[in-house]
Amino acid sequence: MAARNALLKYLRVNVHPVQPFLQNPRTVIGGSISNFLRHRCFSEEVRGSFLDKSEVTDRVVTVVKNFQKVDPSKVSPSAHFHNDLGLDSLDTVEIVMALEEEFGFEIPDNEADKISSINLAVDFIASHPQAK
Amino acid sequence: MKLQCLGKQLFNSSANLPRIQLSSPMEAHLWYIIPSEVQSQSLLNQYAEILSPCEKEIVFEMRDEELRKRALLARALVRTTIARYQINSHVSPRSLKFIKNVHGKPEVDWQHCEQWRPLPLHFNISHTSSLIACGVTVDSPIGIDVEKKNRRLKHNVMSFAQRYFSKHEVQVLSAISDPQLQLQEFIKLWTLKEAYVKALGRGFSDAPFKTFTIRIRSATKGSFAGNSNFEASEIVVDSFDDSMDLTSDWKFVLMDLAGSHYAAICTKKDSSIQGIQITPTKLTVWKTIPFVHDECVSGTAAVVIISG
Repeated sequence: MAARNALLKYLRVNVHPVQPFLQNPRTVIGGSISNFLRHRCFSEEVRGSFLDKSEVTDRVVTVVKNFQKVDPSKVSPSAHFHNDLGLDSLDTVEIVMALEEEFGFEIPDNEADKISSINLAVDFIASHPQAK
Repeated sequence: MKLQCLGKQLFNSSANLPRIQLSSPMEAHLWYIIPSEVQSQSLLNQYAEILSPCEKEIVFEMRDEELRKRALLARALVRTTIARYQINSHVSPRSLKFIKNVHGKPEVDWQHCEQWRPLPLHFNISHTSSLIACGVTVDSPIGIDVEKKNRRLKHNVMSFAQRYFSKHEVQVLSAISDPQLQLQEFIKLWTLKEAYVKALGRGFSDAPFKTFTIRIRSATKGSFAGNSNFEASEIVVDSFDDSMDLTSDWKFVLMDLAGSHYAAICTKKDSSIQGIQITPTKLTVWKTIPFVHDECVSGTAAVVIISG
């Protein structure tokens, strides 16, 4: 019993009512908690807009494998469109178009030719919040 | 069979590259190789010998044998082609050095030639799985593109055109009712647009396809080679972007090459020639297996000029 009480005393956390931060700047703990909660919500919203990289990789690999000219056995996440898959510039533009369809957002023309490998495609898509 | 036999003979590399003259900016030369015609391993080894260590590394890192062969042939084609034009000096294909311009376009690094005054050649290369081509000019930027005539598109032609081509080009393509014909015109247009962007040397990002229109317009030639005026078609480019090079500076040739490919060549007009007179590019085309066999195919069925 004594041990239990001692433990409970040890574990007891002082809880203050959550005050608006500006009104009561001295309630540091309360302010911190509300800020922390606010921050946590915000980053969840932001995190929710970006797709998970491994999911993007799987989807990009599938799109590329479905491309008729491509030998599916040569498609790995590090595959380079020209050097590893033998694709030319017209093929690459077709792949970019297929990725736009898959992920539901437009890849600007001035970015398109930088996407020369699966890795680069994944990096680009995973860093764009418009990707679905 | 005959080619394989020839390939087994080991020629001295420099001795077996007949020298060619290219003196006028109005001229363009095109050299092409058909990968399937090169089967001799000893010949492929000879080609590997003329590559730089860096090029060898890139080529031999490729895991696919066919892709590796194509990459090897492409480098060998560029090096041997450029070496042919150095008439006044003894240049080996291996001694050439290459750099990339500020936008990534490969060029010959002439600065490394101390003992000799090289001919200021410009070159550009294009490959498909069944044909690799290298275009050269003197004193003019050049861009080339080759595509298989029977290539298939994954997407619908009009969807692709609407996404990437200009409004005018979309209109021209949509007016073609036969799907086969439409696809062929699309491919021709693609090669012309690619050749233009490659001639500009600034990369696809800098000159997105939607920002310029390529049109084939009929025009009358002035008296050329003694002939009086007759109808000809001219390929022109219009740009929507003011900051780009003056589009009237560029001229094009579009051809049916080897019966299997469309090829487009874009070069800059000689600025000393004024007026609206069309002075067509004098184009000479060779089919080659470097060190083995060169065949001038201009004027044969292998080269059919479509326009320009």
